[in-house]
Amino acid sequence: MSIPAATHPCWLRLAQGALAKLQSKHLGTQLMTKRLMTSSDSAQAKAAEIHAYFVQWERILTNEILQLPTL
Amino acid sequence: MNQLIPLETASRLIKQGLPLSIAGPEATMDQLPTGNWIGGTTPYFMLESGGVVVPAGKVFVSDLSEIGTVRITSYSADELANIAANAPENGFSLTIIPAGGQVHKRFSEGAAAYKDAFLKPTVGWIAGMHLADLGKAVAKVYDGRSGHKYEDRAVVAYVSLPEGKLACLEIVNPFEPGTGDVLRFQQTSFDVVNCEANGRSVNFAEYVDQQGLAGGLLPLVGDFAGAHVNVSLQSVDKVGRKVKLYAPVFPGVDYRFAKPLENYAEAFRARLEQADQRGAVWSCNCILNFLFGELEGKAIGGMAGPVTFGEIAYQLLNQTLVTVRVI
Repeated sequence: MSIPAATHPCWLRLAQGALAKLQSKHLGTQLMTKRLMTSSDSAQAKAAEIHAYFVQWERILTNEILQLPTL
Repeated sequence: MNQLIPLETASRLIKQGLPLSIAGPEATMDQLPTGNWIGGTTPYFMLESGGVVVPAGKVFVSDLSEIGTVRITSYSADELANIAANAPENGFSLTIIPAGGQVHKRFSEGAAAYKDAFLKPTVGWIAGMHLADLGKAVAKVYDGRSGHKYEDRAVVAYVSLPEGKLACLEIVNPFEPGTGDVLRFQQTSFDVVNCEANGRSVNFAEYVDQQGLAGGLLPLVGDFAGAHVNVSLQSVDKVGRKVKLYAPVFPGVDYRFAKPLENYAEAFRARLEQADQRGAVWSCNCILNFLFGELEGKAIGGMAGPVTFGEIAYQLLNQTLVTVRVI
């Protein structure tokens, strides 16, 4: 499955809290999730960061990417 | 190459122009020629044959030319966000920071919030010294280009990977959270006076003492969205009623003291056996694991690497083995 486009509503949902429901054993993903959960950045900024993150690590985050549209 | 080798051999590799990461006792590190390398002080290493404490005359060398193309730099405490900002688009930033200074403190408090921290990963270690020299010696890092050594600066080897390769930072943590109280902290700090234990405000030093944990064998284990991140106890001051930690605790994170290990070295070996080691290129392990696990002379598997006063995988960790795999 390819990564949803940057305009897909899933990114904003993730940024507004849905990321906490992501099941991942990948250290970088877990630490980023915790950082974003406690960050005061705007939801738009978080959404852009999450999208860029999954684009960068697409090849090794197959299981996580499958979950994105459903969260 | 990730190997403990004589000073003369390391010097020859430097003179050949190879980009290297080097660790060793200060007196030996001081004798290395200038070149394309970074380094830090520690006399402790994990080798295939087990943990060792090296005397003067040997250093541990990682040849980074086997991984990718390398660029070396260094940063002051005010410039630490540049570690990630200036990192290669695809690769990792192998970083060495001396224990005990402002760079150590500020990196550990802020690393996860640096722009691009999770797009361009930082990995590395905190330099230390022989435990017999605690309070007398000061940890050092080296910028091999000039040969300068620093007590409070981060040295970085940026490793750019070939297209199609990715750097995976992974940890092996022998500990799991125990079933005790959930501890929460109000401030990001290495020095803790009070905390909440299951919602009840307590003096942390008193709490640790009452729980019989003042020896520091068991770390706090923080829940970072499922990742177990250890924070180790450095000292418990019952008179001053405060606890000094080897890494900061963070607000918004649930901590528990770790479940005790029946056999420390065996627990490590078992965890390492489960870890995917394919493509492993670099590793480090914690001095407290070396010490409490009595790892000197004990083989536990995994890669050889320096034994350190703190480990870096995106942010500062304690009592953890860190590995970089390139896949």
